[in-house]
Amino acid sequence: MLKSPNSISKLQYWISILIILVFHLLLVYRFFQVQILDHDLYSKQADNNRIRATSIPSPRGLILDRNGEIIVDNYPTYILYGIDAEILNKNKNYEIINKTTGIDISILEKNYKNNYRNKFLPARLAKDLTISQLSRLEEEHHNLSGIIYKQFPERIFNQKIRASHVLGYLKEIDNEMLFSNATNNYQLGDLTGWTGIEKQYESTLKGKKGVSYHQVDAFGRETEKIEFENSILPIPGKNVYTSLDINLQSLIEKEFEGKTGVVIVSKPKTGEILSFLSSPDYKPDLFTGLVSNDDWKMIINDPNKPLLNRATNGIYPPGSIFKMVVLIELLERNIVSTEWSVLCTGEYEYFDSVHRCWDENGHGKINMKDALVQSCDIYFYEAVQKIKLDNLYLRAQEFGYGQESNIDLPNEMKGRMPNRDFMNKLYGKWGWSKGALLNIAIGQGEILSTPVQMANYTNLIATNGDTYPLNLVRTKINKLNRPQVELKNWQIIQDAMREVVIGEKGTGKLSDPKLPGLSIYGKTGTAENPHGEPHAWYITYGEKNNEMISIVVLIENGGSGGTYATPIARKIYNYYFNSNKSKLAKN
Amino acid sequence: MILNIWKKIKNSPNIILLNVFCLLTIGLFCLYSISIIQEESSSQAFYKQLLFLGPAILLMIFSTVLSKRFIHKNIYLLYGISLILISLPFYGSKIAGTYRWIDYGFPFLFQPSEIAKWVIVITLARFLSDNNLQVKNFISNLAPFAIALIPTFIVLNQPDLGTAFIMMLPVIPMLYWVGANPFHLFLIVAPFLSILTAFNVIVFTAWIIFIGIIVFFYRTKLWNKVVIFFLNVFLGLIFPLIWNLLRPYQKNRILSSINPELDPLGAGYQVIQSKTALGSGGFFGKGLGQGTQTQLKFLPVQESDFIVSVIGEELGFLVIIFMLFLFASLLIKMVSLAFHASDRFSSLIIIGITTIFLGHIFVNCSMTAGLIPVKGLPLPFISYGGSFLLSSFMMIGFILNFGRTEP
Repeated sequence: MLKSPNSISKLQYWISILIILVFHLLLVYRFFQVQILDHDLYSKQADNNRIRATSIPSPRGLILDRNGEIIVDNYPTYILYGIDAEILNKNKNYEIINKTTGIDISILEKNYKNNYRNKFLPARLAKDLTISQLSRLEEEHHNLSGIIYKQFPERIFNQKIRASHVLGYLKEIDNEMLFSNATNNYQLGDLTGWTGIEKQYESTLKGKKGVSYHQVDAFGRETEKIEFENSILPIPGKNVYTSLDINLQSLIEKEFEGKTGVVIVSKPKTGEILSFLSSPDYKPDLFTGLVSNDDWKMIINDPNKPLLNRATNGIYPPGSIFKMVVLIELLERNIVSTEWSVLCTGEYEYFDSVHRCWDENGHGKINMKDALVQSCDIYFYEAVQKIKLDNLYLRAQEFGYGQESNIDLPNEMKGRMPNRDFMNKLYGKWGWSKGALLNIAIGQGEILSTPVQMANYTNLIATNGDTYPLNLVRTKINKLNRPQVELKNWQIIQDAMREVVIGEKGTGKLSDPKLPGLSIYGKTGTAENPHGEPHAWYITYGEKNNEMISIVVLIENGGSGGTYATPIARKIYNYYFNSNKSKLAKN
Repeated sequence: MILNIWKKIKNSPNIILLNVFCLLTIGLFCLYSISIIQEESSSQAFYKQLLFLGPAILLMIFSTVLSKRFIHKNIYLLYGISLILISLPFYGSKIAGTYRWIDYGFPFLFQPSEIAKWVIVITLARFLSDNNLQVKNFISNLAPFAIALIPTFIVLNQPDLGTAFIMMLPVIPMLYWVGANPFHLFLIVAPFLSILTAFNVIVFTAWIIFIGIIVFFYRTKLWNKVVIFFLNVFLGLIFPLIWNLLRPYQKNRILSSINPELDPLGAGYQVIQSKTALGSGGFFGKGLGQGTQTQLKFLPVQESDFIVSVIGEELGFLVIIFMLFLFASLLIKMVSLAFHASDRFSSLIIIGITTIFLGHIFVNCSMTAGLIPVKGLPLPFISYGGSFLLSSFMMIGFILNFGRTEP
């Protein structure tokens, strides 16, 4: 053992030492290069690593009602992030989050996959965690790895009302908007108003994000704040004061429960909207993420389309409420006098077809005022023979038919008012006859309008044409174009509409709460439609001591306007002019 | 008995311990600095290292006083045992995606390939000294390769490229040390270099010309010259095909060394962050605990593979130079011990262990400074890591043992 002698030559010894020295000198040179020669470069890089500009979200402005009551507020929620590089056991983390917050593991997995950018950047796992969810999660903190959270302000809604169609909701900005809105300082993941007031007044509500400088570690976690001269504080969004009356809205929502349709209450003189309901609607917090996936699916698949804003985007034949336009056309062109009358037998033969009045027994000999009060169709069939379609079209346009209502809500529909060109295009030049006018005269057929158009129409009649478009927020707006109607003719129409409510045979009798000093005007409509029962319309306005409101009620497939739509108006009048008058009159 | 042990310890070349403990101190300072702000598991690196230090020193003393005869006699047995040990992790479960560690129920994992490193060296030393090899003969050079190749192959499958590299490394210097023909060693190394140079057409061409010159001037049969030359050319050309068989993470590591900016968050990310830490440290460093790259965790695996970046950032170029001086003087002292050793067995063990240390130092430092691909090799005495600390101190113990000149 150990018998072989050591026989190393001096050369081998020196070569070995040389090799060791060469390797070490190579390292010395390399460190010299990186640490001394490139010191400046890497110092700069280190600072870039270290300090990160972070945007501070600006609290969104609140939405308030006309009395200053908050309708939409902010409250803190938490967003949960996972950092891949720090997560030790993904499934265990998911299980704990599921156990403490009740969020589905599959949702966590999906979110994580969708939001994953790289292993060092936090990927969003869940949002809208409440403080109680978070505190339960915090208790399990020692079992979690790589899970962090950030506070985030979320919308919270006044529980008294839903008003979801008018308030609208927020949604994460999409790529298309992001690029078209480059100037507005949005980032991916930011929320933006998607519908309703939230969208319309986005620039007011949004505010301006701030920037702060933080020392961050490699995982993007902020470790300490650095006070920089050029850090920018966020500018909170401005509040939006709406003309809505939360109590009135609440009453109407209760009254209208279970019905499908629209109720709009406004002030004819200013166009201010006091109440705005499109039913069915949805809980306004549907989009804040507090609602479960099942609720969401139910709403999406609901055949009643609760997401559709029927007031701005539902188009309906106006039915008899259109008749005032026909009368004004007759009067303004002096086609007939108010005394001109028609014999209504309940039937009207036009060439080889028979058109019926809604009252099969007929109204007998009937003049203009009675024709409107009793909504006699035969009178209008006869009268419309004397009218040119294009003239009627222009007249209807003056009252907003087929025109945007200019309400301050996004994406409204224009409806449709036919003229000759339109009819020619639709049916061919010889494909339609004056017989089509019979339908148009009673607001059926090709005419389609939205409830907000009808509210403007009502307000125009109530103010002799001197008013503003419907509006939720009082800003500088232009008045509606004033229809060219003589004062006496306004009065004829208004008298007739008054008679609708107080007359023996008036169709709007049920809308009068019979309050002293309150004069109510109205017109019912029963719009035939191919989807079943006719839609019930009622447009009305009431005045007492110079205080005036107008109401538009539409009940989809609600049957006769006089029977079903008018009682709702009565309750609104009763409420407005009786109990809360003093409070409301202030504004 | 006790007296005998004491005598042994006293007669050992204990001067090298000065370097070792200086290096250890630098390492502990850095680990402490890392632990200042870090929470939970990572903060224990400093304390765990301290905890391992006791057993490590005991093992060092043990391997210092162990009878050379005993080691010589049992090393083949130990070689067999260590082959089994490094195969054991394959029967356990994967830890961190590899089969490097054995989890035997203690709070610490055990990495048997760390033991295998020095077992291979001593086995080779016995083989080369016992058989009084005719190392001038080319074929006789191949048997020692086989000894190292078996465990290397197993470790390569764990997979642990770095350790596999370290295991193969001592073979060449040890063969050189026993007087193998440098040309033969060149022939053995040449194919590997042919593969490495195949990365780049120009480098490869230059290398092939270099082989041509050496082969041309070396006196051997023409037929041999032609075979050697074309074998290397062939290897370099076939390499792109073999490349495709590599595991993705290995490819990544190699590729990111060529151009770290390619993949800023993969292996290249580590190199960029490491160079940023080193470079921003400058000459004097930012001060212990003041390194932003370190403290903010921009540096990956800072307590083990990238601890040099911590030294560079917080203590600066000055301490890096001092550290390299300590390493160089330690290794030179070891070579000198090998030169003066009384027998070939001892001399070979010392030179083998020296090679292992040099491999670790060079690979780790140049990886940190972005010279070579990222390989998971720790820095002796400085990096955190239980098994590695134990085996490093054992190897120092063997140096003390075999470097002792018996009175």
